[in-house]
Amino acid sequence: MSFSEIAALTLHDIKNRLAQLASRAEARGDLETLREAMDSAAGLSRLLTYYRTDIGNLSLDIDAHSPSDLILELAADSRSMRPCAAEPDIREAPSIWFYDEALVRMVLVNALQNASRHARSRISLKACQRDAVLVFTVSDDGDGYPEKVLSDAEGNSPPVSREGTGLGIRLAKRIAEMHVNQNRKGAVSLENNLGAHFHLILP
Amino acid sequence: MYYDSRFTYFVFAMAIVSSYSNKRVLILDDMPEMRSSLRIQVASLGIDQVALAANVRDALEHLKIHHFDLMLCDYYLGGSTDGQQFLEYLRTKKIISRSTIVIMITAEQSYESVITAAECMPDDYLLKPFTADAIKVRLDRLLEKKVRLAQIDKLQDQGRWSEIIPACDEILAAKDKYLVDAMRVKGNALIMTRRFDDAVAFYKEALQLRSMPWAKLGLAKAQQGSGNHEHAKCTLQEIIAETPRFLAAYDALGHLHRENGQMEDALKILDDACVISPNALARHRAIAKVAEEASDFGRVEKALKTVLQKTINSPLRDLNDYATLGNALTELGDHAQAIAVIDEAKKNFKNSDDSPILASTEAIAHHKAGNADRARSALARTMKGGAKALSDTDKIAVAKAYLLHGQHDEAEQMLKHVVQNTPGQTALHGVVVNLMKVYGAQGKAENFIEESHAEVIQLNNDAVKIGQSGDLKAAAAMMREAAERLPGNLQILANASYALLLDMLANGIDAGELNDANRYRKLLVSLDQHHPKLDAISEAMAKLQSKFNVSQAS
Repeated sequence: MSFSEIAALTLHDIKNRLAQLASRAEARGDLETLREAMDSAAGLSRLLTYYRTDIGNLSLDIDAHSPSDLILELAADSRSMRPCAAEPDIREAPSIWFYDEALVRMVLVNALQNASRHARSRISLKACQRDAVLVFTVSDDGDGYPEKVLSDAEGNSPPVSREGTGLGIRLAKRIAEMHVNQNRKGAVSLENNLGAHFHLILP
Repeated sequence: MYYDSRFTYFVFAMAIVSSYSNKRVLILDDMPEMRSSLRIQVASLGIDQVALAANVRDALEHLKIHHFDLMLCDYYLGGSTDGQQFLEYLRTKKIISRSTIVIMITAEQSYESVITAAECMPDDYLLKPFTADAIKVRLDRLLEKKVRLAQIDKLQDQGRWSEIIPACDEILAAKDKYLVDAMRVKGNALIMTRRFDDAVAFYKEALQLRSMPWAKLGLAKAQQGSGNHEHAKCTLQEIIAETPRFLAAYDALGHLHRENGQMEDALKILDDACVISPNALARHRAIAKVAEEASDFGRVEKALKTVLQKTINSPLRDLNDYATLGNALTELGDHAQAIAVIDEAKKNFKNSDDSPILASTEAIAHHKAGNADRARSALARTMKGGAKALSDTDKIAVAKAYLLHGQHDEAEQMLKHVVQNTPGQTALHGVVVNLMKVYGAQGKAENFIEESHAEVIQLNNDAVKIGQSGDLKAAAAMMREAAERLPGNLQILANASYALLLDMLANGIDAGELNDANRYRKLLVSLDQHHPKLDAISEAMAKLQSKFNVSQAS
């Protein structure tokens, strides 16, 4: 058995144990442990997904979804788990858009996790249609991205994130680029404007 | 009016999702700690009608007793059956309707998820771990959708395809988030009502919106239906190249190859699908069926042994698998193993004595093994339920046993009816001809199909002649008898309905005749909504109504 195979199985096993931990924490109302367990499990999911993009084994399941539903779901999630709840903004959201909901959810959950680490008091989560693309935006009112993250458009030179491994942003870019419509590729863009703004752009 | 129907629906949806107290939930997970944590999570949402199942057998017991609004099912169930297989079983056996929400719980991101027939897909996936709130949000969303689509779901469950189209158009006009859901259903309804040209146009328009694999699959099926097999093949190959996990496209391509008599190609594409999804029982069974039609019994044996092994001790096991495997083993000359498989089926299935397929397989195997007495007694059981109870597949199996026992007249009669009842089904007709060649009268085999069809044409012509000579009653009786015997033959159904109406126009209303005339017409509509004879039938029906002031049975 190769290292990658045994690593995948081990990650799987750890995820299951984190799920048990999360469920016990939830049952006794221990939000801090619940959050920690959920975030750790999400990190492992990202790693497994990243591995699958690496070996070309990740295929998208693009279908029609309601961006508003996803925004409201993630906002409700953060309300129940995080000290600083994300404010949803769906005023300019189209009624449907085409994307892989599970993967987009994974990207946005990660962006929200990052935002909650850096926000002073506000996080917002928005979906809006701009011409032929849908833009999901996660914003916080923290210090913004460091210059070297903003200038590293390709996400090649580590570390690329404000904290941590840079896995999240790399995976986000890969997932965005796998969303193709009429020869247009999706993208991720980062911006500083009174805080950090993470944009996931889907054609 | 100030508010429209969407407003009413919105209020209704809110009322539904605000309370779960009347909801019943089934949790299926092989791990005890997962079951109990799911139960706690569900209870925290205010749902107290919760049933727990550790395996598919327990789940089936619960499903027998109650209707569930929600089923939370883990993908990995420990045993030989996984969650997707189980869902396919529940949907195809109609154990749960579309009104039951199914959420599949997975440990990894879309790793297991393959895309199969739409009705066999779960309503949503939940990735472990998740909070009770996450269940609530998804559940609210799905309940709202079920309320919105309740009408078309119900019509789909009942197979009332022509009524579905206007119901979908209503949702399409609203252009809300259920637009694509309504599009899927409408396209399928166009195909089910055989409006293939409309379906081609509809799917092409849908594909303008976005290149969606399900719309391409619909397009391929519509192309096939309108006789354009080459285009259908290209469309399907395109889907497979673009979306290799879209297994429904493999199945459709296999079906298309089979229709065109390209059995090797059909088997190859189904084999490819099995590599991607080795657990799907339906596909192994499809392989066995195609291989049987191609007389490739080694392949039948291989496919069905896989099925038997995957369903061992499982409620998903099926008597027909044993019978078909027994038949293949007999064909391969392994009578001892064939008999062992049949005996195992008899031991495992309570109603095995009532199965004509198993009885005929038993008769053949024992005949070939030289056990004349056991063969005779099995043969006698094939007709236990009477000839009318036999399906076309049953008839072929029973006819084979009859041929082997030298009862050629009965066998040929049965096979003739199969052919007459299945016009256009060339693959099936190939099986019949082959059976005649190997076991029946070699000379009769060559022209068997043509002669069977000619007999139907002759019957129609005779009835017309009798009708024209003035004896409408006799003509109607003749066609009625034929329709009872061949309910799959459109021409017979159409003429039977028409002949009954003409008879009543001349000789007065007869409740039984009116009932049958309506029944044949409805059957005809369900098989071909655009049958050329339908206008004449409607016209005669209208005349009858105005003449005798009867209300048309709907």
